[in-house]
Amino acid sequence: MGNLILRNSVRFLFLVLFQVLILNHLNLGGYTNPYFYIYFILLLPFATPRWLLLILAFILGLSIDIFTNTYGLNAAATLIMAFCRPYVIRIISREPEEAFGIQPSLWSEGFQWFTLYSLILVLIHHIALFYLELFRFTEFFSTLLRVLTSTVFTMVLIFLSEMIFRARERTRK
Amino acid sequence: MRNLFLFFRRHYFIFLFLILEVISLILFFHYNKYQNAVMFRWTSGISGGVLSVYRDISQYFSLTKANYILGEENAALHARMPESIYITDNNIHSRADTLFQSEYHFINARVISNTVQLRDNYMMLNKGSLQGVEPHMGVTTGNKIVGQVVNVSPHFSWVLSLLHSESKISAKFLKNNQMVSVEWPGRNYRIGIVKEIPKHLRINPGDTVITSGNSEVFPNGILIGVIDKLKVREDENFNTASLIFLTDFNSLGYVEVVVDMFREEKKQLKASFSE
Repeated sequence: MGNLILRNSVRFLFLVLFQVLILNHLNLGGYTNPYFYIYFILLLPFATPRWLLLILAFILGLSIDIFTNTYGLNAAATLIMAFCRPYVIRIISREPEEAFGIQPSLWSEGFQWFTLYSLILVLIHHIALFYLELFRFTEFFSTLLRVLTSTVFTMVLIFLSEMIFRARERTRK
Repeated sequence: MRNLFLFFRRHYFIFLFLILEVISLILFFHYNKYQNAVMFRWTSGISGGVLSVYRDISQYFSLTKANYILGEENAALHARMPESIYITDNNIHSRADTLFQSEYHFINARVISNTVQLRDNYMMLNKGSLQGVEPHMGVTTGNKIVGQVVNVSPHFSWVLSLLHSESKISAKFLKNNQMVSVEWPGRNYRIGIVKEIPKHLRINPGDTVITSGNSEVFPNGILIGVIDKLKVREDENFNTASLIFLTDFNSLGYVEVVVDMFREEKKQLKASFSE
């Protein structure tokens, strides 16, 4: 239990710093910016109390906002995503929750489940984020393109880190 | 009453979500409207500290290029020193000094955070009110346009980049002084748009656009960009054109803040006339 808290805290710090110091300075073709920090919400244990889920999402979004001077923008989008997480898990799962591992992973829940799970939540987050930032309908389709390309990049980063950092957990199982 | 309590307890997840979401939306709209100015003062200590350490480290990677640019600029400035001028006409150069009172001073500053990929971009400089920076001062690099100061704290200042939906620069063509205005339509940080081009004007790709000096923010003649393509609009009174910025907003290192020495005087003159 203590180990789980420590691991998640370290992941939180690492993802925030990685996002604000490296990813926010990438500028891929003027359209795209991956928002990889939400990986933290994706990986929270299944047994996380739902109130804690929301509080953590709020703190996470606000920490990103402090560095980008967009107060409330990332917090609002991350909250919507965290709010949807329990419902998404319930809808896409065929087996009862007891059959799952401790936290969501490509290796314990299977490729199809994890892809669907992360794709839906990443899309929810990106749509909320980009349209809140825009807040008008005049550039609707060019923003949709930004949402889609950014989602692709975020998903690539999520799968890469699943394969690089979490493959070891599979062999342990 | 008990039922009400039980109702809240059963649906606490939704209520907690709504409360937190409303808090973040209030934050978002409040600070978006005032362009993050107030919160910037509170947290510039934290994020400014971290970001300037990051810049200190990352700057080593572009040191060669920075030295080259500084050398170039030094050479250009040396060429403008009185010692470098060959005096052919003594009458002009022997006149009293008051004739050469300088209108603009420049404060050298370093960019410690900058974005180009958002719709509304800002940057932070490492000079603030203690060094004499004030809101509404223009920011340039070399002789090229960068943006305008919108807020200052004692040690930092917050600059509204030219790459912003609010920025509208009063400009003119170098070749015939015709007034136009320059804006940024978003997406690509290298391409802007020139509006209000009179119909009769002949524009060619490659024409240079400079600041007009009308705005009290920038001096006359700061470079903005060169024309890329003219778009003829049959149904409107003015043509527009796309423009390639001469400033590379993605690699800003050192910039100059423009101090207009006669700003107060100009303001008073205008105010006295309108009364």
